Amino acid sequence: MTALPAPPAAPTAPREPDETPARRGRRPPLRSGINDATRKAQRRLGILLVLPTVVIMAVFLLFPLGNAVYYLFVDFNGIDLAPPFIGLDNFAELAGDPDVWAAFRNNVIWIVIGTVAPLVLGLGLALLLWGVRRGSAIYRVIFFLPYVLPQVAVGVVWGWIYEPTRGWLNRVLDAVGLESITTGWLGNPDTALYAVLATAIWTAVGFVFVIILSALRNVDTEQVDASLLDGANWFQRLRYIVLPQIMPVFVMVTAITLIGGFAVFDLVFVMTGGGPAGATEVLGTLAYSSAFQLNRISYGTTLALFITALAVPFAVWLDRVQARLARERTGG
Amino acid sequence: MTGREGGRTKKPYAPGQAGPGRHLLLAVVAVFTLFPLILTVSTTLKTSQDVKVNPFGLFTSFSTENLVTAFTVGQFGDYLLNSILLTVPSTLLVVVLSTMAGYAFARLPFPGRTPAFYLVVLGLLVPFFAYMIPLYFQLRSMGLLDSLIGINLVLASTQLSFGTWFMRAFFTDLPVELEQAARVDGATEWQIFGRIMVPLVTSGMGALSVFTFLQNWNNFLVPLLYMPGGNYRPLTTGLYLFLGGRSVDIGPLAAGTLITILPVVVLFVVMQRQVTQGFISGAVKG
Repeated sequence: MTALPAPPAAPTAPREPDETPARRGRRPPLRSGINDATRKAQRRLGILLVLPTVVIMAVFLLFPLGNAVYYLFVDFNGIDLAPPFIGLDNFAELAGDPDVWAAFRNNVIWIVIGTVAPLVLGLGLALLLWGVRRGSAIYRVIFFLPYVLPQVAVGVVWGWIYEPTRGWLNRVLDAVGLESITTGWLGNPDTALYAVLATAIWTAVGFVFVIILSALRNVDTEQVDASLLDGANWFQRLRYIVLPQIMPVFVMVTAITLIGGFAVFDLVFVMTGGGPAGATEVLGTLAYSSAFQLNRISYGTTLALFITALAVPFAVWLDRVQARLARERTGG
Repeated sequence: MTGREGGRTKKPYAPGQAGPGRHLLLAVVAVFTLFPLILTVSTTLKTSQDVKVNPFGLFTSFSTENLVTAFTVGQFGDYLLNSILLTVPSTLLVVVLSTMAGYAFARLPFPGRTPAFYLVVLGLLVPFFAYMIPLYFQLRSMGLLDSLIGINLVLASTQLSFGTWFMRAFFTDLPVELEQAARVDGATEWQIFGRIMVPLVTSGMGALSVFTFLQNWNNFLVPLLYMPGGNYRPLTTGLYLFLGGRSVDIGPLAAGTLITILPVVVLFVVMQRQVTQGFISGAVKG
């Protein structure tokens, strides 16, 4: 949602629970022994239990979301409480704003590399650990740890690693004879985005790893053994036996990582603040600075909703994959 | 390791067997993964002279002065307390309200159930980003900026949808016979919920608590946006402020970083099963 790269809130639209006992209770009441008094008590309890959640969600989600839509069509500067209506000007400005497109380009780079790299590395790690018994629990903890750390702290420490003179990255490069490529990783506009991205990848690998590893546990080992007898090599077993079985989970984790890439904020904000010279500016940091530094509230909101809208097709895709997964699990 | 014959079914093998080469590779990746943490601990425990000369050399001196400076000059003690004040109540709120709502959605018929359910689903679909800016002005007019109660409510609201949906799955899995039997025995609906059902989902509540705690502890954007005055500044934005103001003071900065991540690391290592369960079900169940 906010801090972590792949929001756990990505589990999309659970279906209405048609088959819950409560629903069934509406049909012939005698069968489950539910009489009118019971049903009345259930209704009362139901309202009571849901009410606090509904009130909080209405006040802190629904209302501001409605306001966000209103802000799109006015020019709100944060002070004037009756801002002028400006129609679609915010959209027009957004479409013609070179800063937006530069940030968008960075988001695209972020999404592509920030999805592919953790997937490949996470899958590799999971395969590496799959079947290992001794120490497996410790490795699981270690590999997943970066994902649960606060991103601010992660950004601070990686900033030291990237330090031009004393940072470990340049020291290691020096030591192995690659002085020629050492640089001030976060200060150089050519490398800054990729340096921040590498940090994000370091945090995201563990997430992919844990999900894939849990999927590998369900892989039919008899097929793997049979393919061994048939003389299949490492790559053939991976390609034809293992991957097809974990494919749904793999696709799902792809979608989650990808959607997280749209809302990237914390790491960029902490490590470079969008600089140097806008080299790491993404839509998230741009929306923040428009609204809270330039007091262009409406324009910032338009940008924020633009980010959200971009992620919608992928969210729908993710939802379909998850629904298919759920069906397969229940054998339906 | 090679499979054990007989007895248990052979555990699955990755393509290739686990030999010493694989263990070596795993160990290398593990060290690489942990390196930033090792670096943080090392720099924290240096003397201030050593930090000036060689801030990132591993374990070249020992002193606790950076930790002392972080707590005194850096106010990290206050930040730590504030993080607790912002994380514990919001987490409790999420767990209690999600358990209540999750039960209602799983097992009770009531008027307004469908729209209420859509509201919860909306919270799962809409990222915080979409409405964070208007929420600032709303909180301002409600007088909730910079307040403990306001920020706790906002933090809770970002997790409530997930929590409700998560707890609902636990309640849905419980057998109907349980509540039928209790009803026959004359239990009221409230008793069925509180005395029979809730005790059966405590594992779910535990997982949700740990998961929510981590999310709220790590949250950066909410305190950044809604605590402009700096009262009750938690560790995340406190660390950011310290980074901006005194980035040359690498020693105390390292100590502050360590103070920020240490509770997370401890909680995660102790409760890793629950945390992973939260993340996996967050991703896999549909």
